[in-house]
Amino acid sequence: MTDSVHSPDNADAVERIGLRRRRWTGDLTFRGVLAALAVATTLILGFMMVGSFVTAAPVYEKFGIIGFLTGTKWEPSFTLYGAWPFIYGTVLTSLLALLIAVPISVLIALLLTDLAPARLRGPLGVAVDLLAAVPSVVYGLWGLLVLVPVIRPFEQAVAGTIGKVVPFLGPPTPGPSYFAAAVILAVMTVPIISAVTREVFASTPRLQREAVLALGGTRWDVARTVTLPIGRAGLLAAIVLGLGRAIGETIAVTMVVGNSDNIGTSIFAPGFTLASVIANEFNEATETLHPEALIALGTVLLVISVLVNAGAITIRNRFTGGLRSGF
Amino acid sequence: MASEALAVFAPTDGRRRVKANLLVIFAAIALILALIPLVAVFGYVFANGIRSMLSLDFLTQDPPSDLSAAGGGVRNALVGTLEMTGLATLIAVPIALGMAIFAVEVGGRLAQAARFLIDVLAGLPSIVVGIFIYTSVVVTEGHFSGLAGSLALAIVMLPVVTVSAEEILRLTPRPIAEGARALGLARWRAIMSVFVPIGLSGIITGVLLGVSRAIGETAPLIFTSLGNNFFTLDLNEPMQALPLLIYRNALNSAFAPARDRAFGAALLLILIVLGFNLAGRWLTARRRLAGSNR
Repeated sequence: MTDSVHSPDNADAVERIGLRRRRWTGDLTFRGVLAALAVATTLILGFMMVGSFVTAAPVYEKFGIIGFLTGTKWEPSFTLYGAWPFIYGTVLTSLLALLIAVPISVLIALLLTDLAPARLRGPLGVAVDLLAAVPSVVYGLWGLLVLVPVIRPFEQAVAGTIGKVVPFLGPPTPGPSYFAAAVILAVMTVPIISAVTREVFASTPRLQREAVLALGGTRWDVARTVTLPIGRAGLLAAIVLGLGRAIGETIAVTMVVGNSDNIGTSIFAPGFTLASVIANEFNEATETLHPEALIALGTVLLVISVLVNAGAITIRNRFTGGLRSGF
Repeated sequence: MASEALAVFAPTDGRRRVKANLLVIFAAIALILALIPLVAVFGYVFANGIRSMLSLDFLTQDPPSDLSAAGGGVRNALVGTLEMTGLATLIAVPIALGMAIFAVEVGGRLAQAARFLIDVLAGLPSIVVGIFIYTSVVVTEGHFSGLAGSLALAIVMLPVVTVSAEEILRLTPRPIAEGARALGLARWRAIMSVFVPIGLSGIITGVLLGVSRAIGETAPLIFTSLGNNFFTLDLNEPMQALPLLIYRNALNSAFAPARDRAFGAALLLILIVLGFNLAGRWLTARRRLAGSNR
């Protein structure tokens, strides 16, 4: 923005009414206050991040960073702490959740941008968004008392038939499991992924979509030739964003994942994720190094989610940058 | 491109029409799949929670010290939730507004760094935020407290409010921005008495969404406010919150009273969260209508 008041013509007038001077000091103070605020916030949060690493340091010292990350045994009564069962659980549940949520989200986004009657799009969109407003503890409550009993017979049926041949689908099938957690996570990530995807799809050039229709293309052709190819990068960003949410989700997962410190080889086995083991064991962590080990798990979660979100931000920036230069 | 288009949209054949219709059908199925949990969660929580909610004791009494015993209410949790979220809002909103103005109106390398921090914070699991406050505040003070809970919720709210305030400030209509400059207003005056008031309804929407996010959070409170079976207004003491109460009672859901209490509290929490959420949406919709002639 250029400063037209400061052009030579009215410089005198500006000087006379004292505008420039007051303005200069006022703006300087304003900037100073804002900068101080930003620096203070950054420092405080940085200090907190460092603080959690410092608290976790004894655990990293005892087991080594690699040793802690790859350790498969988590036995607080023997002061034995390895993060692998929980990293495994986090990765398994998040990927399973995405496997369920992504196709559903993409179809919903297509429905709400291209396919549904215009009058229905708004209300249906709000309904999907409301899924994101339900607190995660309420999903957990529902998952524990409704979802788990409902999917247990399904788990047993699959484990008893297909599971005999396919490695990851066998018993045990107690009900609460990685799979139950993945289903809950899918429910919780669909509104996030579909909301971002919908925005991306809606921003694809309207003229091109209409051109396809004018050429005699069907709505499938519009999706195939315009919406999906152009929206691809944005879709990827949406998926990574959903992944970040799934990785960090805590309470709902804690209530349905089965709470086992062991690595379950079947998706129907009970287990733990990084976030859920911290939430579940923290208030009863009395053994040596147990609280520190849980905080160390928190730092692992911190690093993973920062990496994932940095990925999402990079993709998003490239996408919007592409939009600017491309259209 | 032209030849490609011709190849793609060769004379209409039945297969393509079938595919288009299949797409619509699959999409409709996907939508129904996504909405089943919504209806099921609301329906189930409503059906099971309404009985507790209907008695006034539920709001005015504290729960019994033994979760499995019948009777009592959730007063301590309701008050704790409102008090901690209220304080969190008071902490987070000025900081968020300052960060947003700094990023949009001042800019520079420091603003970029702050913007990056907000992005990182937005993607941080709330349980990690709880750990931050635990290692810095709870350990230092030596005890769990409502204050620590408020700080955790403030950090959860901060990115939500900042991002939406930023978006609103970026949308300040150019003629109005130029008008403010033409009047010879200093930048800070222009921002504080023109840009912020113009975007106020949008900023409030962001605050409401931030509150509705923070109010439903459980994970960060486990390490900070911990929960408390008794009523307290003292921010130096451990404090109960609705999500914590739901969590603890749900884990004891083998006992019918605990289960009923969890559902009553869940219904109450959903109503509060939806209230804030829908209020925010309504403000946005109203602003869109008002701004449509721009």
